[in-house]
Amino acid sequence: MFSSSRKKIISTSLKGFRCNSQTAEALQVTNRLASNKTKPSQLKFSRIYPEFLPDPKIEFRNPLREIIERMDMLNRRRNVHIPEFYVGSILSVTYSDKHNPEKLNCFVGICIKREGCGLRANFILRNIIDSQGIEILFDIYDPTIQRIDVLKLEKRLDDELLYLRDALPEYSTFDINMEAEVLPEGSEIPINPIKVKLKPRPWLERWERKNLKGVQDLELPEKFYKRAAELADTTSQYDLMKQYMKTIPVEEQYQIFSEIESELNQLEIAQKKQKRKKSFVKPVKLA
Amino acid sequence: MNQADVSKLVSQLRIKVNPRLRRFSNPNGPAGRLDKLRKTVTGLIKHERIELNYPRADEARMYAERLISDAIRYGDCHRTTMEMADFWIIEKQLIHKLFKVLVPRFQDCNTSYTRLYKVPSPYPIIYKREDCYRKAVLELRGNPYPSLLPDKQYNKNIIHNILLEEAKKEYRMQKYAEVVANTEEKGKCQTDSPDEKLETSSDISSKPESNKDEHTT
Repeated sequence: MFSSSRKKIISTSLKGFRCNSQTAEALQVTNRLASNKTKPSQLKFSRIYPEFLPDPKIEFRNPLREIIERMDMLNRRRNVHIPEFYVGSILSVTYSDKHNPEKLNCFVGICIKREGCGLRANFILRNIIDSQGIEILFDIYDPTIQRIDVLKLEKRLDDELLYLRDALPEYSTFDINMEAEVLPEGSEIPINPIKVKLKPRPWLERWERKNLKGVQDLELPEKFYKRAAELADTTSQYDLMKQYMKTIPVEEQYQIFSEIESELNQLEIAQKKQKRKKSFVKPVKLA
Repeated sequence: MNQADVSKLVSQLRIKVNPRLRRFSNPNGPAGRLDKLRKTVTGLIKHERIELNYPRADEARMYAERLISDAIRYGDCHRTTMEMADFWIIEKQLIHKLFKVLVPRFQDCNTSYTRLYKVPSPYPIIYKREDCYRKAVLELRGNPYPSLLPDKQYNKNIIHNILLEEAKKEYRMQKYAEVVANTEEKGKCQTDSPDEKLETSSDISSKPESNKDEHTT
């Protein structure tokens, strides 16, 4: 009994894999376990909505608060459509100004970081406007947010794009009046393989030590790379317990998302209906 | 403020996970710490039961559980899991044991894969820190050795134990009846002597005491 249910969980979780270096391995495992399973679809949500998972740090856990927060998050999602997005996607956020209640602000930018869980989940948008780099940190469930649109849904090679702060401005400049690109339904999220060129030093962080994938050659003297190699953390990838403490076990993810799955699905369907309404333009009678 | 890392999927451990990892201060830093734990985990997989200091046993237990749970979840065709097994098991022939012996053994297991016992520390006991110098025994479940726990097979609710209890009671009642009969006979023979009365009274007083004992046992 137990093993079969576990295999089911694995299979779904692997379905949730969309992209990264593990995809090939994941496919291998799915093929291996392909014999006996039906796929419940809860675990795909853990990638789309990671903020529904609780904080992995045990000190910050509080089961009751987590349940209430999840209810609040769903309530907020019923009022404002919060779409699926990832670090590297280009978003446009319309939010009201608390100092000027009648005015609506709109900010377009690339999501360079996504952090936090529960109601405190947030993301940072970056754009360069009038040759001035602007970054705004939005709380996803902030009630002043009126509307979030994904203009381009894609991922980048890294999990955080904070290095765009030290990159040439063209890499973080996005047109404010950008048209939204719509991905065909059911397609995989594309990964943008763009390699960014950084400005010469000084930088905000020592990027040569961060093991970045989406960056062109840093053009530093040899000693910098030597020092980076000295300080490189070669062992923590083998520290099984560190990994365990950074994540939420599959069984728990499964439980959380099976509770809210139907709600999330309903929200998705409602959103699709609305989209169709918007895209339908009434034909005009010609003379 | 963290977000759960969902790139790697792990099974839930069936043991209590400490909120913080022990540092095991070491001249080689974190690598040295892992090296220590690696030896213990290898030893555990090799011998299936080891005795060692409590802190290290407690720490190594979590790593051993993770290794086995990953082996069960992903199997031996998964590259990352194989790399982990290669790192954590120093004697390479034991990698086969992990995937071919331990995985089938624990596949349908609903409890933890290991057990940790606290055992008495060797004399003289030096208390340096709270659990320093405490000894522990760490073992894999389903090992071939005899159990370390006392045998708790005796159960008063088992039918033969109930029958035996009843037989004992009956025997005792019989004995009391005999004693009473004896004293009565003696009383009839020597009614006038005052010593006998004293004896009978002592007999009577002894009865309830013995009854009490029976109940407590």
